[in-house]
Amino acid sequence: MKKHVLLAAFAAFCLAGCQSSEKGGAQKLVIGATMLSMQNEFIVNVNDAMAKKAEAEGVELITVDAERSALKQVEQVESFIAQHVDAILLNPCEVEASSPAVAKALAAHIPIINVNSETSTQPTAFVGSDDAESARIAMKFIADKLGGKGNILMMQGYMGQAAQLKREQGAKEILKQYPGLTLLASQTGEWDRAKALSLMENWIQSYGSKIQAVFCQNDEMGMGAVKALTDAGLKNKVIVVSIDAIPDAIQAVKNGTLDATVFQNASEQGAKAVETAIKAIKKQAFDKQTLIPFQLVTKQNADKLPQ
Amino acid sequence: MENNVLTYRAAGPLLSLRRYGLLLAFLAVCIGLSLTTPRFLTWQNATIILTQVSINALLAFGVTFVIITGGIDLSVGSVVAVSGVVAASFAHPDTYPVIVPVVVGLLTGLAFGAFNGFVVTSSKVPPFIVTLGTMTIGRGLALILSKGRPVSNLSDAFNFLGGGKVLGVPMLIWILIAVFALCAVILRKTVLGRYMYAVGGNEQASRASGVPLRTVKMAVYTLCGGLAALSGILLTSRITTGQPNAGLSFELDAITAAIIGGTSTSGGTGTMTGTLLGALLIGVISNGLDLLNVSSYYQQVVMGVIIIGAVVLDSLNQTKKA
Repeated sequence: MKKHVLLAAFAAFCLAGCQSSEKGGAQKLVIGATMLSMQNEFIVNVNDAMAKKAEAEGVELITVDAERSALKQVEQVESFIAQHVDAILLNPCEVEASSPAVAKALAAHIPIINVNSETSTQPTAFVGSDDAESARIAMKFIADKLGGKGNILMMQGYMGQAAQLKREQGAKEILKQYPGLTLLASQTGEWDRAKALSLMENWIQSYGSKIQAVFCQNDEMGMGAVKALTDAGLKNKVIVVSIDAIPDAIQAVKNGTLDATVFQNASEQGAKAVETAIKAIKKQAFDKQTLIPFQLVTKQNADKLPQ
Repeated sequence: MENNVLTYRAAGPLLSLRRYGLLLAFLAVCIGLSLTTPRFLTWQNATIILTQVSINALLAFGVTFVIITGGIDLSVGSVVAVSGVVAASFAHPDTYPVIVPVVVGLLTGLAFGAFNGFVVTSSKVPPFIVTLGTMTIGRGLALILSKGRPVSNLSDAFNFLGGGKVLGVPMLIWILIAVFALCAVILRKTVLGRYMYAVGGNEQASRASGVPLRTVKMAVYTLCGGLAALSGILLTSRITTGQPNAGLSFELDAITAAIIGGTSTSGGTGTMTGTLLGALLIGVISNGLDLLNVSSYYQQVVMGVIIIGAVVLDSLNQTKKA
């Protein structure tokens, strides 16, 4: 632990050295970004958009990967503070555990912008989307397709994660509005295609032709559910809707195997985050909260998505 | 107790008794589930369970070889991912014949296994650490090769391997049967198999009696890597996409199956039938809990309790006879 702190301090010292020597020339703004996990396709897309926007604005972007560890994330923000970056973009790992990072940045008078998800400590600004809304959109689509009456299965993400909790909450809100809809079962597929495939096979065994629709909290699981239903010859009788609009899912929507997915605009989130950060640095007016709207993707509009 | 190469023969009847303990636990769970849900005991559900179990069982067979020699392999989950991604990259439609992704995928896994074996035999580093290292390397390589994104759009011929049926029975089940038979023969009927028990039973004694330690260990890790690659290829085919995140914590499921099946972590004992039963027990429980719609939170608790129960029952049986 101590070694880590020393190492971080050393790295920060070196980086600060580089930076100050550079500052002798043009005054280039530096923004530090700590991302939840660069193993996650969506997060990688958000970060790509940040980098693109930063380059366009002539700002230097330093990206670090928190690898899903809130502790690591707090340490990364500490080293950003030590480097005297001009602003910090925080893509939080956890609601509570990442909060100290926000408090530390604010105490150091460095603007900190939360991207994609929230922390309990209020940052300078928030750019992202409301996860519960994506589930409302997906469930609403199912409710409309079924005419407000029918049997639904819900495949959950990894239990206890913010995205799972929010998407469950959104889905349940819609279920409450339509008393004709019955939730047959809800289980976790752990965001995973293979797990989802097995779970769907078991559900088909259990509920068979009673199943009318399946709501999956992400596209990976949606793809697994579609595979199991197709293999069982039931796909044309069951509606499957999921969230995220990953390339595989968009392709499946085009092919008509997945009925709909919900598009969360990664590039818009990344670009808006950098934009807000620059405004905050220059003390210009900015929105405290920017919510990027979701978009339902069906066969009709799958070709026209912004990339 | 085990001091020479012949120990495994003495362990024979004991092992079969251990197996009965597990068999009883397995049957008890099956009967319990058949009584609670009418959908459990059907031909269709049986094929579903066997299909779902096959991936883990193949991994567990490989891990069984390694554990019998007193080693451990934590890298199998990552090898599933990396060989799956590699195979998928060669499996796009209208590129290569289906044999190419299979062979390249298998070679990837065999290379990982051989590397594990090489480091384990040529250094004093414990296998736990070595394979922990390759576990991380494998995951990293899978992410690098796939650029963190799933590799999709695979040919129908490739997708048939893990998704098709022959004579009405899923390919995965045929492969499971064939690989099981092959592994059981290697373990029971070959000199290599006998050496595995000898090495795990007492490494010093086996060395003294002329067992080629290095060759045996190289063989088990390479075999384990190859089986992990086969699992990876079949998983990729089953979900029709190569996933860099596939196989996360699969090593634990595989080790669990082997241990429930009576493979001792201290080496020297274990059978393929036991491991297969262990994998089946895990599969049946998770299938049954889904059929009964038991909440995800409780599923984990139930699974843990049953795992401990099976092993305790098994050890009681063992002490009674010992």
